[in-house]
Amino acid sequence: MASLLTYLLRRILFMIPVFIAVSVITFLITNAAGDPIKLIRLSFKTLTPTQLQQLISFYHLDQPLYARYFQWLGEFLTGNLGISLQGGTVADKIVPWIGTTLELQLLALVFSLGIGIPVGIYSAKHQYSKSDVAVTSTAIFGVSMPTFWLGIMLILIFSVYLHWLPSFGFISPYPPYWWGNYYLDAIAHLILPVLVLTFVSVATIVRLIRANMLEVLRQDYVLAARASGLKESTITFRYALKNAVTPVVTIVGLSFGFLLAGAPGLETTFTWPGLGYAFVLAATVLDLPVVQGITMIITLLVLIANLGTDLMYAYLDPRVRLS
Amino acid sequence: MGFFVFLMVFGFFLAPYPVRDFGCLYQGCTNLPPFTDWAHPLGTENSGIDVYSEILNGTPNDLFVGIGATVISVAIGVLVGAIAGYGRGFSSAILLGFTQVFLTLPVLIIILLFARVFVLLVAGGFGLPLITLILGVFGWPTIALVARGEILRIRELEFVQAARALGAGNRRILFRHIVPNMLSPIIVISTLLIAGNILTEVIISFLGFGDPNTSTWGLLLQEGFAYIRTEWWVSLFPGLAVVFCVLGFNLMGDGLSDALNPRLRE
Amino acid sequence: MGQELLRVDDLHTFFFTEAGVVKAVDGVSFSLDEKEPLGLVGESGSGKSVTAQSILGIVPRPGKVLSGRVLLKGEDLLKKKDSDMRKLRGRKIGVVFQDPNSSLNPLFTVGKQLTDVVRTHFDISKGQAFEKGVGLLKLVRIPEPETRMTQYPHELSGGMKQRVAIARALAGEPEILIADEPTTNLDVTIQAQVLELLKSLQRELNMALMMITHDMGIVAEMTEKVVVLYAGRVAEVSPTREIFSSPKHPYTAALLKAVPRIDKKASLMSIPGNIPNLIEPPAGCRFHPRCKYMTQLCVDQIPPLEDILEHRKVSCHHWKELSLESEMAA
Repeated sequence: MASLLTYLLRRILFMIPVFIAVSVITFLITNAAGDPIKLIRLSFKTLTPTQLQQLISFYHLDQPLYARYFQWLGEFLTGNLGISLQGGTVADKIVPWIGTTLELQLLALVFSLGIGIPVGIYSAKHQYSKSDVAVTSTAIFGVSMPTFWLGIMLILIFSVYLHWLPSFGFISPYPPYWWGNYYLDAIAHLILPVLVLTFVSVATIVRLIRANMLEVLRQDYVLAARASGLKESTITFRYALKNAVTPVVTIVGLSFGFLLAGAPGLETTFTWPGLGYAFVLAATVLDLPVVQGITMIITLLVLIANLGTDLMYAYLDPRVRLS
Repeated sequence: MGFFVFLMVFGFFLAPYPVRDFGCLYQGCTNLPPFTDWAHPLGTENSGIDVYSEILNGTPNDLFVGIGATVISVAIGVLVGAIAGYGRGFSSAILLGFTQVFLTLPVLIIILLFARVFVLLVAGGFGLPLITLILGVFGWPTIALVARGEILRIRELEFVQAARALGAGNRRILFRHIVPNMLSPIIVISTLLIAGNILTEVIISFLGFGDPNTSTWGLLLQEGFAYIRTEWWVSLFPGLAVVFCVLGFNLMGDGLSDALNPRLRE
Repeated sequence: MGQELLRVDDLHTFFFTEAGVVKAVDGVSFSLDEKEPLGLVGESGSGKSVTAQSILGIVPRPGKVLSGRVLLKGEDLLKKKDSDMRKLRGRKIGVVFQDPNSSLNPLFTVGKQLTDVVRTHFDISKGQAFEKGVGLLKLVRIPEPETRMTQYPHELSGGMKQRVAIARALAGEPEILIADEPTTNLDVTIQAQVLELLKSLQRELNMALMMITHDMGIVAEMTEKVVVLYAGRVAEVSPTREIFSSPKHPYTAALLKAVPRIDKKASLMSIPGNIPNLIEPPAGCRFHPRCKYMTQLCVDQIPPLEDILEHRKVSCHHWKELSLESEMAA
């Protein structure tokens, strides 16, 4: 256990440079976009010198860049994400959207693991069979598709032409509700985005599991297990699967970050009120404090996901705990 | 694949209408559905842009971003990987840590941020090279890891050991023995990276963070999305172009990795 | 010697690859008696390991056993259903693989890997299986067996891992132990210990041992009978003592001349010529391109595996010339 703890501690220490890197990049780039006063002037052409002075001291524009960075970082770490240029605090704007984004991502993650792992195993066990060829070709289509475009196509079919499912938002704001009920309405709104996200990540997971499983099934320890008379199901689902899934865990962790980062495209397509859509809206009107806040929050979520992955990995692979 | 490379070179000449041509606005041929008028086989969109023509005009641009960014990533990645893999000690440890930090970044969000901010700042017309540069600068860590892994593997091989025993210098060993041997995995992963870069570029322009004056598939998709309820064809066809192009590169990557990695197969 | 336990009869196992059909085992026949230590000798690619895999019915894809018989106490294993074969694997025949680093599953403890096999073959509780696992580790002379049971393979040394692999092969109390180059990947000092262990286990447990190796030194030390394989066929069968004094096949003679003095691996290469390509093997006798007794007959006809003396068989058109020469040399 002690070794597991030091391992985790190391992983957490590793996250600090990642966090600092993101914060520096975010801070610099948003500053490169122009200072907030210039942006405020676009909408409020007449600023009195006193107002201007107030703004300068509010944004600490009279101080050097690095001082402003540390101030900003300090505020962020204490939970103050700043004020949106469109009014209201950034935190108030972002926080409710974290939940909607996670709802979508986690549902899709659960579904894609639930589907991807068995399909990948089946495909590897029946390499080059007709069903394997069907699975691998579908999977390579899946990874070759922009997520949002698949979303658009599904909206075209199921919303625009068939009128079966809603195409935007996460709930109908007022009756009539889809399928007659407030709760079913929420589910109806989830179906298409979850379907799209699941399809795309299932494709990745199937390809990974299949490739790993093929590699593992070639290993001597599988042959040795077979030579010892173990049942084929024991060999596949316990001996081989654990070895095949372990590297996938890392990649699922990394791809969770990737999926989360892919949220802007998907959420825009479905007008899904999450972090991704908020990011696009804020970046479009250059509401930089909001953009900064979302980037940092997404980074934190990705880091938490990575930590979870590391924990899983250490649990599955005893070699990690010791090295 | 070859088909798309062909389009990349000749796309401009094949396209019946110039880049972002709004001629139809005056001739009344806006909103044409596909397959009704052979002057506009895949239809036109709301402001009269010919979909077929615009897909062809976008092809070289999307391939430019995909391939150009990959070239930049390979250059940085191989260099970093080579130093991290070949050198021992402090510099290689630092580079390896740096690579891992980079791998953990939520890259796509940062790329979007960069694209949004810098495309605004630079003069018109440079949007595409800029996006290429951004994608290239953020795409190298996987290449670096692969390069490092290969170097660690190859430098223990017998012929490299033999060359060292014969007194060959580090640089000679690196460029004569190691670099040629690590080419094949790098080529495979580069092909897959091209596919990924094209997808990212499509997202950037779809979200409107790209250069609004350059034809790309993503830009056309953005216009299609605005009129999704009336003009399905503006969404369908450029998307198919993306899928087939990216699929082509992915299949090439898979095929290359099978071909360069001979194993007993049925 | 005791009664015949295992008989392999005209076994053919081919691999159907993209490059062509690899005739890895092409008409191998030999027999193994009860409690007999047998050596299966040949260069890599001679079909030793594939023969063992064919006996157990675990030839990996794209390999396939095409014809022949594998008789265990008169029962043809090749005709058995896979579910029946499964009960036999590990129970009647145990296998030790070449590299313990890859033949032990890195993600499971030693105890788990042993008890899994024990509980597959015996209907006993987890606690009893654990006790039996500890007993097996004691049997292979591993100190502190209770601690080892809870450890993972990477926490053990190479020699220790191979002992665990041997314990696993013995978990089903088999009558035959197949050891497929069990010491090739170990340090030289450890090699001797593991060989000594195998030898004494074979006697203690009254098992038949099939020692697969390319090393004539190991053959001399460990076995009483040798089957020499060349390119998927049997070249010669002989009692171990006799083969060293009077080899009857030119390939065996060459192997013996190459018997390592200092560096084992390098000297094995010293037989002139290469191991033949098994997709398009040489016609007639497969050894003819490398053989100094080669005549037109060797190219035209496959030499039969003839009984030449008591307990001795050879597959060579010119074995008499070879005998004459070795007598003259003596």
